[in-house]
Amino acid sequence: MKFRKCFKHALNMVLHSKLRSWLTIIGIIIGVAAVIAIVSIGEGMQQSIEQQMGSLGGDILTISAGYSRGGSMFGRGRMRGGSTQATGKEVIMGRADLQALKGLADIALIDINIRGQVDISYQGKSGSLSLTGVDQKVWADITTEEIKEGRMLGSADQNVVIIGGTLADSFFSKPVGINKMLTIQNKAFRVVGILDGNSRNIYMPLQMAYQILENKQNGIYDSIIVKVKDEERLDNTIAKIESKLMLVRHVTEKKKDFTISSSKKIMETRSEMMGSINAFLLAIAAVSLIVGAVGIANTMFTSVLEKTKEIGIMKAIGARNKDILTIFLMNSIIIGLVGGLLGVLLGTILSESMAALIGDVRFMRGGTIVTLNSVLMALSVSVTVGILAGFIPARKASKLKPVDALRHD
Amino acid sequence: MKPVLLDLENVWKIYQMGEVEVPALKGVSVQIKKGDFVAIIGSSGSGKSTLLNLVGCLDIPTKGKIVLKNNDISKLSESDLASLRGKTIGFIFQQYNLLPNMTAFQNVLLPLELQEMSDHDARKQAEKVLKLVGLDTHMRHLPSQLSGGQQQRVSIARCLAANPEIILADEPTGALDSITGKEVMELLEKLWKEEGKTIIMVTHDLHLASYAYDKIELKDGKVVENNK
Repeated sequence: MKFRKCFKHALNMVLHSKLRSWLTIIGIIIGVAAVIAIVSIGEGMQQSIEQQMGSLGGDILTISAGYSRGGSMFGRGRMRGGSTQATGKEVIMGRADLQALKGLADIALIDINIRGQVDISYQGKSGSLSLTGVDQKVWADITTEEIKEGRMLGSADQNVVIIGGTLADSFFSKPVGINKMLTIQNKAFRVVGILDGNSRNIYMPLQMAYQILENKQNGIYDSIIVKVKDEERLDNTIAKIESKLMLVRHVTEKKKDFTISSSKKIMETRSEMMGSINAFLLAIAAVSLIVGAVGIANTMFTSVLEKTKEIGIMKAIGARNKDILTIFLMNSIIIGLVGGLLGVLLGTILSESMAALIGDVRFMRGGTIVTLNSVLMALSVSVTVGILAGFIPARKASKLKPVDALRHD
Repeated sequence: MKPVLLDLENVWKIYQMGEVEVPALKGVSVQIKKGDFVAIIGSSGSGKSTLLNLVGCLDIPTKGKIVLKNNDISKLSESDLASLRGKTIGFIFQQYNLLPNMTAFQNVLLPLELQEMSDHDARKQAEKVLKLVGLDTHMRHLPSQLSGGQQQRVSIARCLAANPEIILADEPTGALDSITGKEVMELLEKLWKEEGKTIIMVTHDLHLASYAYDKIELKDGKVVENNK
C-alpha cells in the first residue's frame, strides 16, 4: 500500500477511537508542555543572568573580613568587618590591608566601604535604611550604579548623599528631589544625585559615614572594593591579592580570615547552579513524557487487540506485513505528533502565564523564552516517542497470522 | 483442457493442541481448474474450514504441497503470499467481514489501495463492481447502515474489485434469510457464468451445494467424494 494510503487509514483509526486517542494524547501533552515550560523558564533565567552579568562590572572585586568555609551558594561576600572567627578574636579590614593592596600593580582603583543601618526622615516621615559610606574620590569610577538625576559624589563633598531610585520616588509620602534635605541620624544631608534603578541605597562620603554610624571606628572598613586593571587576568589578580593579604594578615590558607568575591564569579556560579536546577526539573518533566509514551504503547496494544479481526481481514484481501506495520506505526506517530503540537501550545501558554504569575522576581526578569529550538526538540521527541512506543504493538499486529486473526472475535 | 489454477497434493494439516497432535487434514489432494464451480461440503469437524484456509492461502500446510498459479505457497515469503492472494483470490465470508469504520465504497476500495492502483482507476473500478452487485446507490453507507444481504453484496463487490480469478466463499448465505441467500447465490452463479470466475464454496448446506457444478465432500480430514 502506498504511504499516503497508510497515513489515511491510520488517521481514520485515530478518528474512530476518539476518546481513547484523546486520552493518550493528553498524556503526551502534559509531558511535552512540562518540558517546554521548564526549558523556557530556564532560558529566561539564563538570559536574565546574562543581562545582569553584563551590567555588573566584571573587573570589580569586593574584599571583606571574615571567611565562610563552606562557601554558601549565594555567597555575596557580605560578611561584615567585625565578624568573628571561631577563635573569638575579632577580624577586621583595616589600613594595613589597604596599604598592602595599594602596593599591587594589578589594581587600578581602590574604594573603601562601611555600611550600617540608619534612621532617616523626610518631611515628617521616617524609616530605617541601610547606608553605605564610600571613598568619594574613586567611587564614581568604580561603582556600577548610574546616575539618573544630579551628579556623583565629588571629592569636596561633605554633607551630601546620593540615593537610590525607589527611595527617591516612593519611600516617603512625597518624592525626594535633587537638593532636598534628608535627615539622617538627626543630621541634615543634601541630596545631590539620584540613581537609576530600583534601590533604596544611600551613599555618602566615607568620613561623614564614620560620624553618623556610631559603632564604626575610623580606619576599620567593612569592605574594600577594587577595580582590576585587566579583566582577562581576573583569576591571576585574585590569587595575587589573596597571597598578599595572607602575608599582611599573618594567616595561612587554612586560617584565611577574609573573602574576595567577584560579582562575575558569583554570577557564573549562580548560572551553573541554575543550569543544574533546570536539568533536574527537566528530568522530572521527562519522566512525565516517558509516562505518556507508556500510555501510547498501552493504547496501541489495546488497539491491536481490538482490531485483530480487521487485521485478519486486511491480510486476507492482500495486506502485507509492511502495510499493517506502517498503518499502526503511523497511528502512534499521529498521536505523538498531535500531543507534541498541543503540548508546545500549552507549554507556551503555561510559561507565559508563569512569568506573569511570578512577576518581578530576581532571576526571572528576562521572563520566559520559548525558543524555536525547544519547540523543534519537543516535536521530534514526541514523534520519536510515538515511534518507540508504537513499534512493538505495530510489529505484533503485522506478525499476526491471517488465519488466527480472522478467527478472533 | 482447462489450466489448473490451484493444486493441492497430499496435503496434511496437523494442529498442535498442547501435547496432542490433532490432524485436521490427512492427505488431501484436490485440483481446481479455471472456470470450476466447486462446493466443498462436509459436516462440522470434517476439516473443511482448514481446507478453506489452505485453499485461500491464509495458512500453509504441515505436509504436502499447494501450488497456486505455479507458485508453491510454502516457498513464498509472507509478503509475496499476501500480494499473490490479494490479486488471485477474492474472499466472501459468512459474516461479511467488512471493516466497520469504512463506508461500502471505502471497503471496496481497500483491496485496490493495497495493490497500489492509481486513485482514479481504483475509484472507477470500485464504482463498477458496486454497480455490478446493485449497490451503487449505497456507496456512502457504513456497513452498520446496510442489511445483511446488502453487506454480503458489498463483500462480494470487495472480492471482485481486484478482479481475482478465484472467488472463495465460506458459507456465503449462512447469515442470510433464504430469499436474500438465493439472491446472493444467483449473483455468484452469474459471476461464474458471465465473468468466467472460478468459484470455490465451502458449505454444509447440501441445497446450496447443488448450485455448484462439482462437489468435494470431506469427512474426518479426508476426501470421501470427489465427482470432479
